[in-house]
Amino acid sequence: MSSLPFENCDFEVRQDLIDAHQEAWSRIASPGTWLTGERRIAVAAEIRQARACDFCQEIKDALSPNAVSGTHTATGALSDAEVELIHRVVADPGRLSQPWSQEVLAGGLSEGEYVEIVGIIASTMIMDTCTMALGVADTDLPEAVAGEPTRYLPPGAKVEAAWLPVVEPEDVVETDEPLYPSPKVGYIYRGLSMVPESMRNYWAMANAHYMPGEYIYQFDKTIRALERPQMELIAARVSALHQCAY
Amino acid sequence: MLRESTQIADNQVDLKDVTQGLSDGTQIPNADVLVNFAESIVSRDIARIAAARLAVADTLGNDAMVDAAAVASAFHGFVRIADAIGIPYTTAAQGQDVPEIREAAGINDFYRIQEAG
Repeated sequence: MSSLPFENCDFEVRQDLIDAHQEAWSRIASPGTWLTGERRIAVAAEIRQARACDFCQEIKDALSPNAVSGTHTATGALSDAEVELIHRVVADPGRLSQPWSQEVLAGGLSEGEYVEIVGIIASTMIMDTCTMALGVADTDLPEAVAGEPTRYLPPGAKVEAAWLPVVEPEDVVETDEPLYPSPKVGYIYRGLSMVPESMRNYWAMANAHYMPGEYIYQFDKTIRALERPQMELIAARVSALHQCAY
Repeated sequence: MLRESTQIADNQVDLKDVTQGLSDGTQIPNADVLVNFAESIVSRDIARIAAARLAVADTLGNDAMVDAAAVASAFHGFVRIADAIGIPYTTAAQGQDVPEIREAAGINDFYRIQEAG
């Protein structure tokens, strides 16, 4: 474990990437919209636990994810529904289904909690994968910050195209605070919009790894040390290996 | 995104390489070392990652290697949001990923699309 992101890295890491990791860990440790800081850190710990879960590996190896039964090797800090959500999204995201998501919700999670946990999973997976890729140990999980979740529910959130509620650009209200940089943002950008704070925190961190939204459709430009086709080849291959159809 | 960016850069890409691995049909500079690095990261095989990382750093330099690691990592998050929230695959790339492109890339064989019928 490293107390600071990219500590003892053999390579020179750009400062905005280091800052993005530090800021993201700090936000994960703070009270969220539906989860306390303590529960959010427990989610992050469960994400790391899922990497060593034998049952997750059995599911991943099975021809169908529904063909095996068993129990996840969990930290014991979270409910069964939270553990199922975290382990399946970490280990076998390409074979999730709408009935599965409904079962997780029926297990006692609210839609807001589900979306907030998915945001923590996505953020933690990015950061832990990035440090692993650069040969650095996982960053220590920070101490949870005390306080109450805001429990803010965007009035425009509704189930339409996706399995979980999403706030479409035309349904954004002032209390959602800045949500979208453009009304034409891609659908992936809207995924966490039911929990606006999670969505903003996630993209602030993710953009430092890929690129800010304003550059996405400028295919002739790059703001990184790679050419755009090189970046997109990596992106497409990683997505395909995850069986992601999006 | 890959198709658009390669067209503009006048690079050649065989879309099925996305699902089946790199072939001679894809001509993007240093595609071999970059794809090998990306695949190693997904595998989580530490020894394989270390070798692939050095190959990228030796070929393209420190900054490009860091950015390759960062991009590969980013897509460990994006895919999980798309798949856990159930974002329709038909909305990818502003709806421009038409069935013919998904077929050419081999994406139509993925579980999510097969399940959707």
